[in-house]
Amino acid sequence: MSEDKTVLCVRDLTVGLDNDPAARILDGISFDLKSGEILGLIGEAGSGKTVLARALVKGLGAPLVTRSGAVHYKGADLLGLSERKLSKIRGKEIGYIGANPQGSLDPTIPVGNQIVEKLLSVSPGMSRKAATERALEVLAAVRIPSPEVRFHEYPFQFSGGMMQRVMIVDALVTNPAVLIADNITQPLDVTVAAQIIRLIRDLREQFSTAILFISSSLPVAETVADEVMVLQSGRIVEKATPTALVQNPQHDYTKSLLSRLPRIWGEGISGPEAADTRTLMTVEDVHRTYFVRKKGSFRGVNAVQAVRGVTLDIREGENIGIVGESGCGKSTLTRLLAWLESPQAGSIRFAGQDLSKLGAKDLTKLRQSFQLLLQDPYSSLPSRMPIGRIIAEPLLIHGLCKRSEIRGRVLAAMREVGLDPALENQLTVGLSAGQRQRINIARALVLEPRLMILDETLSALDQVEQSKLFEVFDRLQKTHGFTYIFISHDMALVRKVCHRVAVMYLGRIVEFADNNALFDNPAHPYSRALLSAVPTLDDHPFSSDEYLLEGEPPSPVHIPPGCSFRSRCPLAQEICGRVDPVAQVLPGGGSAMCHLVGQDAPARSLAAGK
Amino acid sequence: MYLLNFLIRRVLQGLVVLLIVSFAIFALLRVVPGDPARLIVGGMAPDEVVVQKAEELGLNDPIVVQYVRYLGDLARGDLGNSFFRPKSGATVGAAAYDDPSRNERAEVLDLILERIPLTLQLAGLSVVFALIISFPLGVAAGLNPGKWQDRLAFFSGSVFVSLPNFWLGIVLAQLFSIKLGILPSIGYKGFEYTILPAFVLAIGISPFIIRTLSVSIAQIMHEEFIAVAPLRGLKRPRIVVAHAIRNASIPLLNLFGIQLGILLGGVLVVELIFDYPGLGRLTINAVLQRDFPIIQGVAIFISAIFVFINIAVDLAASFIDPRLEY
Repeated sequence: MSEDKTVLCVRDLTVGLDNDPAARILDGISFDLKSGEILGLIGEAGSGKTVLARALVKGLGAPLVTRSGAVHYKGADLLGLSERKLSKIRGKEIGYIGANPQGSLDPTIPVGNQIVEKLLSVSPGMSRKAATERALEVLAAVRIPSPEVRFHEYPFQFSGGMMQRVMIVDALVTNPAVLIADNITQPLDVTVAAQIIRLIRDLREQFSTAILFISSSLPVAETVADEVMVLQSGRIVEKATPTALVQNPQHDYTKSLLSRLPRIWGEGISGPEAADTRTLMTVEDVHRTYFVRKKGSFRGVNAVQAVRGVTLDIREGENIGIVGESGCGKSTLTRLLAWLESPQAGSIRFAGQDLSKLGAKDLTKLRQSFQLLLQDPYSSLPSRMPIGRIIAEPLLIHGLCKRSEIRGRVLAAMREVGLDPALENQLTVGLSAGQRQRINIARALVLEPRLMILDETLSALDQVEQSKLFEVFDRLQKTHGFTYIFISHDMALVRKVCHRVAVMYLGRIVEFADNNALFDNPAHPYSRALLSAVPTLDDHPFSSDEYLLEGEPPSPVHIPPGCSFRSRCPLAQEICGRVDPVAQVLPGGGSAMCHLVGQDAPARSLAAGK
Repeated sequence: MYLLNFLIRRVLQGLVVLLIVSFAIFALLRVVPGDPARLIVGGMAPDEVVVQKAEELGLNDPIVVQYVRYLGDLARGDLGNSFFRPKSGATVGAAAYDDPSRNERAEVLDLILERIPLTLQLAGLSVVFALIISFPLGVAAGLNPGKWQDRLAFFSGSVFVSLPNFWLGIVLAQLFSIKLGILPSIGYKGFEYTILPAFVLAIGISPFIIRTLSVSIAQIMHEEFIAVAPLRGLKRPRIVVAHAIRNASIPLLNLFGIQLGILLGGVLVVELIFDYPGLGRLTINAVLQRDFPIIQGVAIFISAIFVFINIAVDLAASFIDPRLEY
């Protein structure tokens, strides 16, 4: 090896489309990757990140073709190698991890066998026993609990975060010189993503691998990378250390990226203030448990306790945020709030009326007043119906106005959400996610509801579209006095728009507080952990080294006795194992379910003393 | 444990299916025209013999009573006796009503058990042939959608599905037995008699297998785990054999469970053409003679095979893909 520690040297890599000689998906990409270095690459959706990741190992499929350039590895140009020679390097010396951990392995074969299969494929001559031992060793190194058991489990038995660990094992098991990590934290919850990032940092020291860390999020790349490259429409426009990039960006595109990043903490940053208005909806101690047949049993049933006693009041004209990790019961709560399902215990009152006491007719009438907006703008709209007709549908169902008036109201709603009225007779084919979400909003809007429930409505959209839709929401709130419930895992979004925030954990609201109180002074240890995991460039009041949780929430089938957060809580005490805490009122007016809330001071000093 | 639960549940479900099927067959055979007692004793017998026979067989009881009695016999493994076939083997249709051979009628169970191995051999061999024909065509088509392999598979599938089996059987018999003289085609004296009919049956079922294979392989080749497999260091043959075909075999297994009906239907016709002494020929003769116990027995036997094979298919599928649960 030469003195220069460069392991991968990319020169003038250009990728186009086979049917369009002029197209440039990647345009003249050049960079060096040194051993032991983590090189970050950030770019928005469609900038060519994944294409680059795959082009480096000659893994492009039609219609993408590499037009020119070279990828030098150990003196050879990878792009010029035969498939046979390439197969000695790819997967063995250059590892690859993608953004879709759940889909990356054959669903019908245990994960361990697939890692062994890969190991045997790239290192012929290795015995199966040695390969199994090696796989188990690396599974333990990425801190997968009980690796001997999980080795024999199937991909569907893993959570997203655990599966991503498996894929990291799959890539590192051969001790590669280079690791290409393509947006590996993107599908994960913030807490789990933060764990993965921490893991990558640890592993780099253990394995001395050069890592190309591709991410769509600048704050994420900033936390791990030694240097960051900025990719815009297939070109690298800037390359700098993370600090230099954040403090002194050179290129206009980098500057605009930075300016568009939502801020969470810092001077002059505060969330909307809650106002004391009339209560619109009261949720009292609602429960919802699903019974699922136990696999491999004759009559056994698993009780999945999705929502376990949620109490919430929603005031007229405010924005409520509901946050939490996946599997915490957010979506079930949404379905209860929208009365798509009724709670098994507890009650929901809307505008003073108990929803469970209403007859079918009154309920339909009242339903006009609370509308649900879904996450996926593609599957929530019928594809064979003209847009105007989609929006008119609720009016027809509820028979709210004369047929002759419908068209006028549909057009008015379209204008209000910023849809071109000329789209009235067109189908939804070819519309962007943002446009589609506007149709969804217009469809809810024609009924003139009072409460809109937004289940991850904005998470499918990019930053620009998100902020445009916010303006729409804001304007509608001002003109119509809407109340919004934002169900989201995006803490930055919640910080920006919500007056009050409920933090959910294992089917309960563990803390419910005003925006500023929660973000600046969270009372529940889980809230602190959640905040510590949020990727942001702001000065973080909760360092992840101190607050970040290991592991994942327990299964909602087997909820531990006592405080359900105890198994992950850094402050857990003897009482937490015995007594299930009840909601306690906080000085600021919020509430939290924690034994330590009353004794605020010792809890803090304990955390600080860690 | 999973296996035991699965088997108990599915066998119980299967018994319910058999119960319904057997009642349907029993009831239907009682409403079609033709008096069994008259059929048994023959056209020349005096009326009082017919009445006596009917009394003896319990044909005057209500149909539900008859059915329960039939079920009781069934539980003891007794499928009844043929109306016409004597134990000796000759048909009794022409014998006089008081000929003693009329009372020595063959047991349906024996008749079926005697023929079922031949029919299973025929069906099994035809499935083997069909897989040999379909795998190369279907897999190649699935791996190369839109290319000549795909068109070849589509073309051969279309040709195969358009060939009527009775025609193909006659043409092949003409070619291989009469012109070339390499394969026998009439009757059964040894394994080689199974080859031609099995091939004819295989041509009938292979278009469905080709189509299912090519569609599911093409679909699986687009899955993420196939796309990243080369990046993980797996080689192409391994990816196709160990992952693509493995995953594509589940729709194929399910197809097989359904195709069984078509296969058994084909067996009836093909056995007749090749004069193959299997269940099919027994059934057709029984239908022509209105030999109700045989028709009943064969129908229940076939539905039992159907239920059993579908349990086996589901079990195999859930071993391949543990996400499946039946």
